[in-house]
Amino acid sequence: MIGDVVERSLRSPKVLISVSELFSNAAGSRMPEVLPDLLTVEISRSVVAACPTSALQVDEAAGRTHLILNYGECIGCTRCIAAGNGAFRYAERVARCGVRKEALIRRWDIQSRAEVVQDDLVLSQAAERIRSLVGRALNIRQVDAGSCNGCEGEIVALTNPYYDLERFGIHFVASPKHADMLLVTGPVTRNMAAALKHSYDAVPSPKLVVAVGACGCSGGIFEGSHAVVGPVDAVIPVDGYIPGCPPTPSMLLTGIVQVLSPSLSPPRRRK
Amino acid sequence: MIRTLPNSEAGVSRALDLLRTPNTRLVSIFGSTDDSGGRHVHYLVDVNGREYRMLTSPVTGPIPSATPITPAAAWYERELHDQYGIECDGHPDPRPLLFHENWPENVHPMIDNASHVPWTSTEGRYRFLKVQGDGVCEVPVGPIHAGIIEPGHFRFSVVGDTVLHLELRHFYTHKGTEKLFENTPVMDGVMIAESVSGDNCFSHAVAYCQAIESAFGISVPPRAQAIRLIGLELERMIGHIADVGALCGDVAFSVPSAYTARIKETLLRASTRFFGTRFWRGIAVPGGITRDLSNAETTGFSRLVTAAARDFAQMARLILHTSSIQNRFESTGILTAEIASQLGVVGPVARASGIRLDVRCDHPSGRYRHIKVDIPLYKYGDVLARARIRIDETAISMGLIDETLKELPAGSVLVPVPLSGNSEALSAVESPRGELLYWVRIRDGKIARCHIKSPSFQNWPALPLAMPGNIIADFPLINKSFNLSYSGCDR
Repeated sequence: MIGDVVERSLRSPKVLISVSELFSNAAGSRMPEVLPDLLTVEISRSVVAACPTSALQVDEAAGRTHLILNYGECIGCTRCIAAGNGAFRYAERVARCGVRKEALIRRWDIQSRAEVVQDDLVLSQAAERIRSLVGRALNIRQVDAGSCNGCEGEIVALTNPYYDLERFGIHFVASPKHADMLLVTGPVTRNMAAALKHSYDAVPSPKLVVAVGACGCSGGIFEGSHAVVGPVDAVIPVDGYIPGCPPTPSMLLTGIVQVLSPSLSPPRRRK
Repeated sequence: MIRTLPNSEAGVSRALDLLRTPNTRLVSIFGSTDDSGGRHVHYLVDVNGREYRMLTSPVTGPIPSATPITPAAAWYERELHDQYGIECDGHPDPRPLLFHENWPENVHPMIDNASHVPWTSTEGRYRFLKVQGDGVCEVPVGPIHAGIIEPGHFRFSVVGDTVLHLELRHFYTHKGTEKLFENTPVMDGVMIAESVSGDNCFSHAVAYCQAIESAFGISVPPRAQAIRLIGLELERMIGHIADVGALCGDVAFSVPSAYTARIKETLLRASTRFFGTRFWRGIAVPGGITRDLSNAETTGFSRLVTAAARDFAQMARLILHTSSIQNRFESTGILTAEIASQLGVVGPVARASGIRLDVRCDHPSGRYRHIKVDIPLYKYGDVLARARIRIDETAISMGLIDETLKELPAGSVLVPVPLSGNSEALSAVESPRGELLYWVRIRDGKIARCHIKSPSFQNWPALPLAMPGNIIADFPLINKSFNLSYSGCDR
């Protein structure tokens, strides 16, 4: 009976996760983290060789050797953790969600074993202007532009009782015409490029676009396929990027909230 | 384990003769090129539900179509034409399948250089079937849908609320995946396999790994086989629990929808806690698995899975006793056994229409060779039957996980795989959506060809045949009860 269903549900314990526990939590994402104290040139070369995408690279400019980790290209294969001889581990927190494309890239100077920190890591100026307009009532239209449905599974999970996205005043809507933000997944396929463009055009201005997942940020594992146009920003302008393959619900939430509220952006560190 | 296949230069007509004999089921048709660039067509047939038989023939010109013999061949032959430019004479519907208007005619990516194919006009040339008569309206839906789901186009012809005809147009998420496998080192291919259909990524990974292992004649340690079984059954549980919840959501019964989403999340969090990944990505690799369980973890994991499955079973019983659910689910979207078998439908959809097909019993591999799996069967083929199949299978999967964890073999979980050599092999896995096959050809330790037979590709053409006579408002419910993957189909 219908009453029994409701009664059983009411008796179930509360599972909602607190904001502080959620924010930038990367558990289960398999994203790597670098321990710069243990970094050597040798380790850097072996992790670069192990990386199946070009997420890890060694840059030898101006006599310094830099290790570059681009979260936007990382598919979380964890090979660098296996090959990194202790200098790589599973990240517990990934704060670079909902940031500018350049901010997905982290860079370490191997000789000094320290991170090279860039300025203005978080958001584009356009996004800063828009978020002051939408405040804390955001309508999101999700568009799958060719994903494997891994990201969709995690986006749907945002609405479950653990994450409950609606507590932030954020809703998923059925039409781009009702949306403030497009949340776009997937490498944009040839067959979806026109539909994505039409959806973007249908969102009233001002609008935000967030690219989700390794495929959305960089094309991911599908980069270079004849049937794929490229990452989301190859077709429409993008304001914020959320890495991960797929990003966990907490990373998605971090990204969406971070695009929205400047007070929650991680403090800028200066060297 | 499927190791050697009776594979011969058979000639297409011999393959068609085989398809005409009773007790055969078309599994897949796909193309390949040999080392000198010559095209071949492969017919994969399940004989008596016990043996996969592959018949291969070189192709120089058009070949006779298998579709008039078995409609299950229709999409495979359209794909064969799009990928390899092989014409199938007598095919009733030779329209392009994989490519839309933006793709030039006569560019076939598996034989031509397709790295920089220009865009052609995006004006509509695609010809939908027109239903004519008094009061017939067309309702186009998609590719972008109202919910958070994958893209695809549905064209309904309706009179009032009643659907007369539904036509699908898919492949919006076509990513050229089979081509992408080419020249990938065998150890890296698994990452592409994991991105074919995200919610079934472990099934795809295991199917790929088994194909590589059987190509090289490697046997995976028993402990790794057992943990793979746990992953496969957990993926099935998670998929089925989510499906039942989504079915409730589609009839606006939001309490159980939220409740099952919660149960699903507890299982994903259990996976994170014990395996470091929510969807078991990166766990299966050729040669075994990358993550082992300690004894203490075994007990903890088993307790969480069992509790979640019991919670779901009790909720599912209450759901099925709710009259509004019975009213919406019963006799909605009937797929008859006759149509299902003509279209070669597989998985829970087939079992809900009375067709007893399950790779775990019919073509077992890994640990499934040593255990018996109960296969639930319903004959009505409606939404209710498809919901019941999933509820029953969730309980059975929980039992298999619990049993396996109790008798987890000792030993290693990974053996080395040769990184060079030439070989080919086929592997089958019962994914949550049904029969999933990988066929790989390896040259110098790299993938020369990888064909994926996905259950969604097989089952999508059956969905429109469950629609006529139903009202259009029931479409989301019927579609959800099939729960097919767009990306798994489109690849």
